[in-house]
Amino acid sequence: MNEPVDTSTSTGPVIGRRSLLRGGAVLAMGAAAGGWLATREAAVAGVSRPAAVPVYRAPFQQEQTLHLAATDGWVSMPKPPGAAIGAFWPDSMAPPHYNVYAFGFRDVTSLSPTELTPRVLAEKEHAQISAPILGFDQYVKQADGSDNAVRITLSNLGLAVRPDLVDGHTVHWHGFTNAIPLFDGVPELSISVPIGRSFTYYYRPHDPGTFMYHCHFEDVEHVQMGMTGVVYVRPERNTATQKYAYDNVATAYDREFTFMLTELWAEGHYRDAHIQTTDWTDFKPSFWLMNGRAYPDTLEPSSNPLSTGPDPLSASGESLRYNPISSLVRCLPGEKVLLRIANLGYQHHAMTLDGIPMTVVAKDASPLVDSTVNLTYQTSTVEVGPGESRDVIFDAPPNPGTTPLKFRLYDRNYAYLNNAGDSGYGGQMTEVWVYPAGQLGPQSAANA
Amino acid sequence: MTRTGRTRARTVAATVLAMAASLLVGASMTSTAAQASTSEGVVCETSPSNSFNLTATSGYILTPDGNSIFMWGYAGASGLFQLPGPTMCVPEGATVTVTLKNLLREPVSVLFPGQTGVTADGQTAQPVLDTSVPPKVTSLVKPAAASGGTVTYSFVAARPGTYLYESGTDVAKQVQMGLYGALIVRPANAGTIIDGQAYDDPASVFDPQHEYLHLLSEIDPVVHLAVERNRTFDLSQLRARYFLINGRSMPDTIAPNSAAWLPSQPYGAMVHILPKPVGATNFKPALIRYLNAGTGTYPFHPHGNDQRVIGQDGYPLIAAGAADTSYEKFLIDIGPGQTVDSTLVWSNVEAWDATSDPIPVDLPPLQDQIVTPDSWFSESPYLGQVGDLPTTVTSNNQCGEYYHVAHSHALQQATNYGATFGGMMTLIRIDPPQPSNCPAVTP
Repeated sequence: MNEPVDTSTSTGPVIGRRSLLRGGAVLAMGAAAGGWLATREAAVAGVSRPAAVPVYRAPFQQEQTLHLAATDGWVSMPKPPGAAIGAFWPDSMAPPHYNVYAFGFRDVTSLSPTELTPRVLAEKEHAQISAPILGFDQYVKQADGSDNAVRITLSNLGLAVRPDLVDGHTVHWHGFTNAIPLFDGVPELSISVPIGRSFTYYYRPHDPGTFMYHCHFEDVEHVQMGMTGVVYVRPERNTATQKYAYDNVATAYDREFTFMLTELWAEGHYRDAHIQTTDWTDFKPSFWLMNGRAYPDTLEPSSNPLSTGPDPLSASGESLRYNPISSLVRCLPGEKVLLRIANLGYQHHAMTLDGIPMTVVAKDASPLVDSTVNLTYQTSTVEVGPGESRDVIFDAPPNPGTTPLKFRLYDRNYAYLNNAGDSGYGGQMTEVWVYPAGQLGPQSAANA
Repeated sequence: MTRTGRTRARTVAATVLAMAASLLVGASMTSTAAQASTSEGVVCETSPSNSFNLTATSGYILTPDGNSIFMWGYAGASGLFQLPGPTMCVPEGATVTVTLKNLLREPVSVLFPGQTGVTADGQTAQPVLDTSVPPKVTSLVKPAAASGGTVTYSFVAARPGTYLYESGTDVAKQVQMGLYGALIVRPANAGTIIDGQAYDDPASVFDPQHEYLHLLSEIDPVVHLAVERNRTFDLSQLRARYFLINGRSMPDTIAPNSAAWLPSQPYGAMVHILPKPVGATNFKPALIRYLNAGTGTYPFHPHGNDQRVIGQDGYPLIAAGAADTSYEKFLIDIGPGQTVDSTLVWSNVEAWDATSDPIPVDLPPLQDQIVTPDSWFSESPYLGQVGDLPTTVTSNNQCGEYYHVAHSHALQQATNYGATFGGMMTLIRIDPPQPSNCPAVTP
C-alpha cells in the first residue's frame, strides 16, 4: 500500500479509522456501497446463463487489442453455516451477497477499447477475481509488414474503498521471453500507472504456451488481493479444425480449460479494507481457489460481470458475479482435453485427477516434446509451484450411459480442501464431466 | 550497533589460522575471496592442495531495514565471520580436506550432502549415537567439540556440480543460525580444470566471465535473538521474516562483492550479462548455481527470459542430442537441500531503435507515471541508446542498460519482514552489446 495520508492519528477501533476516512459517514457509506448493488439484486431464475468469460479470438493478421481496468471491489467465498474467521471474515463492511474485499482486473474492451470513458470509470469498485482469461495468437509478421501484435491498455480506476491510497497498477506478463523492462510491469524498473491514467503495453508473443499475468505493484499485496490471471498464446500451427497447445502435433487438443490457482488470506484482505497494514510474512491462507472460486462454487457456470441487468444466475449465484470464471470441465468421450494450470499463489499445489491419467506436455510454457527429445510423461498428480504453469492433456474416457460421468480434479494437499477451516469439502476442487456422445456441443471459448 | 562478537571472532580466528597451518603441513591455502578483484559473480576460495580451514564462529549480519541479526557461520581462510561460508571450488577428482575449528559453545560439524566416501578424522563418516538405549543420534557426522575442538573431513570430489555444505549437528537450529556454504566441483582432466564447463559433457558450456551463485536461505529473527541471549525457543513455531540470497536481502543483493558496508556478507548476487546476438550459435550462456539451505521449497522467478535447467544435485541433465534431458523454465523451483544449475541467455529480439524503429505506443510524460524514490528507472526501451531520445523517453541509467528483477514467487519471501521489493530478490543487468558506454564486464 502507498499511504501518503497519515492515518496513524486514529487510535480508535477499526470502525473509527474507517469513520475518520469517510468523514464520519460510516452508515451513509454502507448505504452507498449497497446502492450500486440495489439494481442488481433481483435474481432471475431460469434465464439462460451468459457466454463464458471473454476470450479473444482475433484472427491472424489483425492486431489484438485489449483494455483492462484495475480497481478494487467485493467478491464472495463460500460460507458454510456459522463459519467465520474472527472479525476478519465475513467482512462486516461487504455489500449484500459479498464477503471479501479484493483488488482485480476487469476487461472493459467492449466499453471502450482504450479510453477512460464514464462507462469505464463506473467499473470502479467492481473488480473481479480471477482476472479475465486472455488468449492471443502467436505473433506473425506478414510479408506486407502487417502483424498481429498485442496491445493491452491498462487503466487505473483507483480504489473506491481506500481513497487514502494512491497505489499504481501494472501488467506483468509472467514468463514472457526476451522481455524488455518497459513492458515488463515492474514499477521499480519501469512504468506504473497512476490513478486516472492509462498506459498501453505492447507485446509480440513469439512463443505459444500457458503464461500468467499479474500486477507487480507492491506485488505481495496486489497479487494476494486478486490481480492474477491466465494468459495463453495459441501456436501459428492452429487451423480452423485443429488446435494445438504448442508447435507440435503431440499437443493437439479438442477442448481447453484454464486454472488459476491462488490462496486467499482473509485477514490480509480485511486489513486492506479497514485501513490497517499487514505483515505479509504472517501469510496464512483461509481459502484455496481455482479461478478465484472455492469448491463448490467452482462448479457454477461462468457469470458476466459486465451485464447491466440482474445476474441471470440463481439467487445464490448472484454472489459470484465478481468471481466470474467457472472451473467445471465438460467434454465428450474420446476428446483430448487440455488443462492449462497456473499457480500465482504462494504455496505449492499438487493437482490430482481421480480416474483419468494425465499427460504433462509442457512446464512453464516450454513444451516437453520437440523434434529430438520427448520428455512428456503420464501422471495422476501434477505438481505446480508458485509462479509455475503446466499444460496437461487427458483423453476423455468412454461413457456408455445416458448421464455425464463425473471425475474429480483437486489439490491432493487435503489441508487445502476446506473453506475457512470448515470440515467439509471445499477449496481447490472441481469436477470433470464426460457427457455421453453427442450430448455436448463444440466448445465456444476456454472454460465454456 | 555493537560489534563485540565480531572483534572477538577476528582475534581468535587469527590464532586458529596459525594453529591450522602448523597442523596441515603442506596445505598452503590461498583465498581469492580475501583479495577479491571481482565485484560481481561467484567468488571462489581455492587451495592448491584442496585443503580448507573452516571456523565455526558468530557475528552479525545487516538487513536492509536496519536490523542486525546474530548469526553463526563458517569463516574461511580470513578467519572472519561471514555469511554464507566461503564458496570452496575444487577440481573433479580432487581429494578435498576440510578442517573445522569450532569456537561456538556447542558441538558443530560439517555435512557434505551429495558426496560419497567422506571420512571424519580418518574414519568413515557416520552418524554419532549416544549411549542411551535405544541409542539416539546426537550428530549426523562427527562434530568438533565445543569451544575450540577440531575435526578434519576428507572426501574425493567425484562428480562435477554444485553442492551445499552445512552443519550436521542440531541441524534445525544450526543451519537456521547460518552454518552453510557452497562447494563447487569443476570438471577436470587429471586435475586440470576444464574452464567454462559445468559438467564433463561439452554441452554444459558456459561463459566463465558470467558465473553466479544464488545460495538461498531464510531467517526467523526470534530464534537468533534467543540463541544470542541463551534463551529457549520452539523451532516448530519457525516463521521466517528475512529471505536471503548469498546471505543478503534485496537491495543489498545487488551491492558488489565485498562491499565495505556489508562487512560480514561478502557475496553479491547481481547477474550481469550481455545480449546474445539473435541467431548466434557459438554464444556462451551465463551460469547460475542455485542452492537451498532453507526449510521450504523456494520458487525463484527470473524475469526477462527463461533459464535452462542443466543439472540438479550434482547430476547433469544436459547432453548432446537425444540424451539431452535439460529443459527451459521461467521458474526455478529449488527444494530444501537441493541445488540446481541453470543457464541464462537474453536476446534483444525486438531491437527497438529510437530513430529507425521506435516503440509503437506512446510513453506517458513523467507526470502521468508514478515516480518515487523507489523507482529505479531503466524505463527507456532503447537498449544502449543515450543522448538524444524522444521527448517522453527517460533514461537515467548508466549506459542505456536494462534491469530485470529475479525473485522468489512465494511473494511474502520477496519482502524484508513484510516490506515489499526486498528479501529473496536480485537484479539481472543486461548491458548493450560491446563496445558501449558501459564499463567492461570483467570478473
